[in-house]
Amino acid sequence: MPQKWNSLDTDVLVIGGGVAGCMAAIPALEAGLSVVVCEKGKVLDHCGSVGCGVDHYLTIMESGPEWDTPEFLIKHLPKLTDGIVDMAVASRVIHEMPKVVRKIESFGVNFKDPRFNDYYRLRSFGLPGTYHINFDGTEFKKHIGQRVRKLKGSVLTRTMAVQILVEDGRVYGAIVFNFRTGEWTVVRAKAVVLAAGEVNRISLNASGMAFDSWHCPYNTGDSQAMAYNAGALLTNMEFVETTITPKGFSAQGLNALVSEGAHFINKSGERFMFKYDEKGENARRAVIADAVINEYLLDNGPIYADCRHLPEDILDHMEATLQIDRYTMPAFYEQKALNFREEPIEVSISELSIRRSGVYFRGSGLAVDTDGQTSISGLFAAGDCASVSGGIAGAAVLGHVAGEGVASFVPKTNGSLPQIDMETADAIREKAMKHMEVEKERGLSWKAYEAEIRQTVNDYIGVRRNEAGLRHALQTLHALAKRETDLKADDLHGLMRIHESSSIRLNAELMATAALARDESRTGSSHYRMDHPDTDETNWKKFVIVQKGSEGAETTTLSASEPLAAAFARKN
Amino acid sequence: MSSDMKAEEQTVHNPIQIDPETCVKCNLCDWICPGDLIYKKEDNRETLPVIAYPDECWYCGLCQSICPVDAITVIFPDQMINCQTDVKTLLGKVID
Ligand SMILES: Cc1cc2nc3c(=O)[nH]c(=O)nc-3n(C[C@H](O)[C@H](O)[C@H](O)COP(=O)(O)OP(=O)(O)OC[C@H]3O[C@@H](n4cnc5c(N)ncnc54)[C@H](O)[C@@H]3O)c2cc1C
Ligand code: SF4
Ligand code: SF4
Repeated sequence: MPQKWNSLDTDVLVIGGGVAGCMAAIPALEAGLSVVVCEKGKVLDHCGSVGCGVDHYLTIMESGPEWDTPEFLIKHLPKLTDGIVDMAVASRVIHEMPKVVRKIESFGVNFKDPRFNDYYRLRSFGLPGTYHINFDGTEFKKHIGQRVRKLKGSVLTRTMAVQILVEDGRVYGAIVFNFRTGEWTVVRAKAVVLAAGEVNRISLNASGMAFDSWHCPYNTGDSQAMAYNAGALLTNMEFVETTITPKGFSAQGLNALVSEGAHFINKSGERFMFKYDEKGENARRAVIADAVINEYLLDNGPIYADCRHLPEDILDHMEATLQIDRYTMPAFYEQKALNFREEPIEVSISELSIRRSGVYFRGSGLAVDTDGQTSISGLFAAGDCASVSGGIAGAAVLGHVAGEGVASFVPKTNGSLPQIDMETADAIREKAMKHMEVEKERGLSWKAYEAEIRQTVNDYIGVRRNEAGLRHALQTLHALAKRETDLKADDLHGLMRIHESSSIRLNAELMATAALARDESRTGSSHYRMDHPDTDETNWKKFVIVQKGSEGAETTTLSASEPLAAAFARKN
Repeated sequence: MSSDMKAEEQTVHNPIQIDPETCVKCNLCDWICPGDLIYKKEDNRETLPVIAYPDECWYCGLCQSICPVDAITVIFPDQMINCQTDVKTLLGKVID
């Protein structure tokens, strides 16, 4: 019996109600547009990466000194990004930072440190100034989510977007399903904002547990996958990101450690970071990760984070704020019986993500223009799925830019929306629902399927790559694609996971394809080609752009002195 | 492709303990879990929440932080607390 469809018409559909999605919804709602947010979580105030809290926010505040101006930070962008950055978009984001931080404050977020009733600003990750506000961001997301609800944004909760609808190069909606009720909805929209985050669950980590991940394991690159399938351009997909975590628990905390003055030491007690960067532990995340990887490869492991030299008041502050970025960190240390004031903490690299390779403003994902619009007309993107990103601030600011972009785009569309082709919609749903009917003998579990993807990425597409390995990985990933129809869902929750697995596999394929194209190395282990170990400044100051071609993923390049929008075919 | 790709059941570590005596069956943990792991019957003050997909836990502690009566404790498994993995195995294989 054919199942019935729900249908919804709206001006704007936002996919993903995290930081970027909420911040995009706000200006669209303020402009009087109707907005529907489609979100896998149930509560907008707590869903996404930072539902439990954050502790640092990167921003320009124009507080007086030269370093605190947009111009100063923009001047440093090429160096910060190893020359691969969309200067036009990043500059717009940086210029908008002071406005957006004040706007978020107006929602009720308190960025000030109660100890001094002032902003506590720290330097970290190679930035040329003390751009990070360290603050108690336990309620950060709550205030942003509340704002969306106050402005009367509608939210489809526990709802996963599975496909965006594009016709003649213009987006007009998406197909989504609720994994608790099994309801399927066709949403027609004049503009769509993709904000479903980065790609996780894509490689192995020390605990061997797929969902023990530094970043949110329920963000699986669905924006990137849906947009790629619809023909959008993606960039920087070759770069991987990893961080340093306490061994066994892939978690946040590196920023707090290094900005407060922790040292990294190897098994001989040597403080090695200065061998790799003159900034020592204050180097960019990518450089720190690279140094730790190198030390392990040199058999200098185990590596430790060492806080023992820090003054008592700093240690007290660290201990008091340990739970802000990762609520369960104190419990982890406690259950491990580890006292970081007195003992060094053994560290590991985390699993990989495709996000922004430890480099601010060089996002991996959907190429966007200065309004946050992708290469598909009416399709916008922001946050960790976009080509300019930078944590919560990057997501908030580009999200806000995209929301303003949508607000000026929608009135120009004359209210016209194509009719939904229900045959296509039925076919999409039928293909999905077939996973519920796969016979037991043929059925593959998504867990095992993903495990094979993670092993492949770990071994051949991870922090050490060469052509033979990448080609081998692509073969495996293509073979896995052919078996996707065998994935068996035991329930609706499993059906949701299968869609995630499918996105993860596709993103791994895009990463391998882009990594094969960039036959040089850049930014340490973010893209280390053992067969091309040098950085080639003459030929490779370029973006690698990935797009769906007739035979699968195809790559082109674009000089990094151009904005990515120069590669867009869309006219408007 | 390996044969272990067939679905198979294993006993899995339970990431969160819910104290049945303290729990007031308010549903908050179900609503808040970002992974859709906790299932609790709506409008029902009798049933306890169930951890339906324990091996998909992020160990984020959101459920614990939101629980109004502190009924939830996050318990890390041995693989995390006492992790013995050689970090070098995470650094890729090199083939010619
Ligand atoms: C624990 C933690 C602490 C962090 N702390 C900091 C910090 O202190 N400072 C900082 O700058 N950065 C921090 N980060 C990074 C920061 O959270 C991210 O960079 C930022 O949230 C990115 O915003 P986003 O909107 O792209 O993604 P998110 O905020 O994660 O939002 C993505 C949303 O999309 C939803 N979604 C995913 N797929 C689908 C789909 N198919 N359909 C519908 N919805 C979908 C998800 O449920 C999620 O709500 C932290 C990250 C974590 C995990
Ligand atoms: S949040 Fe706490 S009290 Fe409420 S149902 Fe969950 S465990 Fe019980
Ligand atoms: S710790 Fe996080 S992921 Fe695990 S059950 Fe609780 S809320 Fe869900």
